[in-house]
Amino acid sequence: MKITARRLIATTSVVALAASVVLVGGMNSANAATAKPVTGGTLNYYTHAEQFPNLDPQRIYTGRDIAFLGSYVMRTLVSYKPVPGKDGATLVADMATNTGVPSNKAKTWTFTLRPGVSWEDGKPVTCADVKYGWSRTFATDVYVEGPAYPLSWLDIPQAKDGSSAYKGPYKKTGQALFDKSINCSKDNRTITFNLSRTVPDFNYYLTYLAGGPVPQAKDTGDKYDLRPMSSGPYMIKKYAINDEMVLVRNPNWKKSSDPIRTPYPDDIVVTFGMDEDVRDQIDLEDQIPNGINMDGLQPSNNVAFFEDPTKKNRRMNNYDPYTTYLAANNSAGHLDCLDVRKAVFFAFDNQSLIDLSGGLTYYGEMGDNPVKPVIGMDYAPTKGNIHDPNFKIGGNPEYAKTILEKAKTSCPDAYDRATNPAKGLKYYRADTATNKKAAVLVEAALKKAGFVIETVYKPSGTYNANLETYKNETDFLSSGWGADWANASTVIPELWGDGCCNYTKNKKTPEYAGFIKKVNLALVELDRKKQAKMWQELSQYGMDQYWYIRTVFGKSQQTWGSKIGGVYYWEPQGSFGFGQLYVKQ
Amino acid sequence: MFSYVSRRLLYTVILLLIVSLTIFFIFDLIPVDPARLVCSKQCTPSLVEANRHRLGLDVSVFEQWWRFLVGLFAGRTFGEEGIAITCAAPALGYSFSRHECVTTIVAEAFPFTLSLALGAFILWLSVGISLGVLSARKKGKFADRASSVFVLVGTSLPTFISGILVVLFIVLKFNLVNPLELGNWHNPFTDPFGWLQTFFFPCATLALAYAATYTRFTRSNVIETSSEDFIRTARAKGLSEKVILRKHTLRAALAPIVTIAGLDFAGLLGGAIITEGIFGLNGLGKLSIKAVTQTYDLPIIVATTLIASAFVLIMNLIVDIAYAFIDPRVRTS
Repeated sequence: MKITARRLIATTSVVALAASVVLVGGMNSANAATAKPVTGGTLNYYTHAEQFPNLDPQRIYTGRDIAFLGSYVMRTLVSYKPVPGKDGATLVADMATNTGVPSNKAKTWTFTLRPGVSWEDGKPVTCADVKYGWSRTFATDVYVEGPAYPLSWLDIPQAKDGSSAYKGPYKKTGQALFDKSINCSKDNRTITFNLSRTVPDFNYYLTYLAGGPVPQAKDTGDKYDLRPMSSGPYMIKKYAINDEMVLVRNPNWKKSSDPIRTPYPDDIVVTFGMDEDVRDQIDLEDQIPNGINMDGLQPSNNVAFFEDPTKKNRRMNNYDPYTTYLAANNSAGHLDCLDVRKAVFFAFDNQSLIDLSGGLTYYGEMGDNPVKPVIGMDYAPTKGNIHDPNFKIGGNPEYAKTILEKAKTSCPDAYDRATNPAKGLKYYRADTATNKKAAVLVEAALKKAGFVIETVYKPSGTYNANLETYKNETDFLSSGWGADWANASTVIPELWGDGCCNYTKNKKTPEYAGFIKKVNLALVELDRKKQAKMWQELSQYGMDQYWYIRTVFGKSQQTWGSKIGGVYYWEPQGSFGFGQLYVKQ
Repeated sequence: MFSYVSRRLLYTVILLLIVSLTIFFIFDLIPVDPARLVCSKQCTPSLVEANRHRLGLDVSVFEQWWRFLVGLFAGRTFGEEGIAITCAAPALGYSFSRHECVTTIVAEAFPFTLSLALGAFILWLSVGISLGVLSARKKGKFADRASSVFVLVGTSLPTFISGILVVLFIVLKFNLVNPLELGNWHNPFTDPFGWLQTFFFPCATLALAYAATYTRFTRSNVIETSSEDFIRTARAKGLSEKVILRKHTLRAALAPIVTIAGLDFAGLLGGAIITEGIFGLNGLGKLSIKAVTQTYDLPIIVATTLIASAFVLIMNLIVDIAYAFIDPRVRTS
């Protein structure tokens, strides 16, 4: 999932688990473990945002929203275990009786719906509903926001322009092809997915609301985004953009059919459009004790909240799902020289940049991998880069100079570009006050090592939308990513392979052919431990190539009111474990 | 008079057409691709094109503008097959970010803006004119100096500062409004206290800068008018100062002030962006700023800009007509 500079936003998805959770004077699982939950009351949430980006399950692609709506309103075939810590990344059955049965080398997956799962109107959730939900992803003339995995995974031919031959349930073009790819049993309870290739981690996708059901009779197209049907313990009583959302108990939800959710509050209210200063004031003064800040504080208020001992039971500070990185442009005419990239890496003053963004405590720490420890078994510390004895977090210009000297003979053109005052390296940045301060620090540090660098400011409001253009022009590009689920299959192919967000421009380098072959083998490896080893090796390879100049493992902070209980950090979702929250009486 | 009014109405309509076409052209020039913006990270070129078609951006600017104009009179349908959405006339478009016809969205936002603008208008006129008259009558004395301080503070304190100070240190500090209900709508006819609770502080904040300006303006106009020959004649006739002020001075001094007040009020009807944002009022200002800076929602941008322009143009017309009635010289010229 690509992130904006502010994280937590837009086209993000769910991330797997932290192997270690950092606590800074805050609590994590203790709150959930020791106190007895209380039923009743109103649970309030408040946010600066004016709306949820989407409520339509096939259009939801934001980690926090998947966690929130999945806990309260929408069930899926499979879910993550709603517990704190590493165990939270374990898949458990939700609407299905198990976490899926693969066959045919994981090209076929079968799930059976458990009895008693129903919609808010009392009708049962059926295989046909799940199949219909999947079909909506193909209506790309109506929905473009959600994950597009079904388009390439299901065994449906492609049209000449590369799009799927099936055009969705509204146009019905290619409907027969779609119907062959997903089968329902006669009793409408067993669903079989037929895939075009081996997908060993297919069932992880089914934790996404996009893989969940929609009743065809209630589908209102674009307007379904305002009032989706509920299969969870709460249903939507009111959703007014810029105003509030009110969730009330769903009378047709049965606890006997749902091993995961524990709906304690009587109702849930989300207040939208709150001014950020007002929102932070509410937190600092505990003015809404039964309320939760959905956004986190503004960075300038973190110290006041997190270093106040009276607030220690109302905060937590953990690794978030995202890695921010600085990608080097490996194409000809840019940073197509390993020695030059390596010299930039060692010259970089990372400490000052981290300090500028909030410090190690609140912003994040240096990373050694595009795969974050939260992914679990696919992460292993790499060798070299930040573990190299010559690496200094504040920059090591002397050592960088020695590497740059080598580039004089190993790649004279790249050396000339990097050091010639008439040429120099270009660094595109979003035009913000913070980036302007950062640019001064970056230029100063690289200059010490002999680099010539020019910062080019681009409009901040459109920066992320234009990354596809900028990646061809700049020598460095900042961005961020979070895995879609607990498998590096959603990281390495996307960032360094054929996926959506490869800003390294490594595809025409001599080393790419061998690299991508190994990536494609890892994608279809059925032995999970073997696959994890393959991802670790590929991470090491990319870091040895210095395709990324720097990576930072980001952190996020959560705060809540004094009457909120059951709080824990749900690591695969990178958010609160919403389903277990309650209001202390 | 009839031909004068008709001519001005026609000019107003032509100007609005030009404004609307200009907005479409400007939107086409911005370096953002709205079709790409909402597309997920797994976006492909074909998905972007499909989205561009959905947003109606795959046709020429003139074609987009023409469809908009037709929709104003005949309504418009968006989407295809069984999930098409129809917006009845006057259809200002369909917002795909808010999943609603823009006419409905604007109709819901306008009461907030109208309440804020009207409340602030009444406050700043009453405070500004009263203080201005007082300081003109007590020129050089304590009241005059005190009002100068007020003018200085009011004109130098920006709304985004005064607004935040009011919210944090008055409204929330003393729990005058529940933070979760800040900006909630209450019908002024059925729940006047609730309406007042929502709008008093935003109106006062917005009125502050205007009141300061109007105080200064009123003061200088009253002082200048008081030295006119016809006022000296009135005094010579033996009229009391109170009668002179009420019947002669104010009438002359306030005429230009009322004109400007009308235009200022019309400008606020397009939305007071900062005040609405700070106090959580879901008015046209907040609506338009989000459409411009975040969602690049062209139908909302067009609608809010046209509405703001229409209010200013219509208020200009009303003021000109009013002047034509007041001053016969304007009519004949």
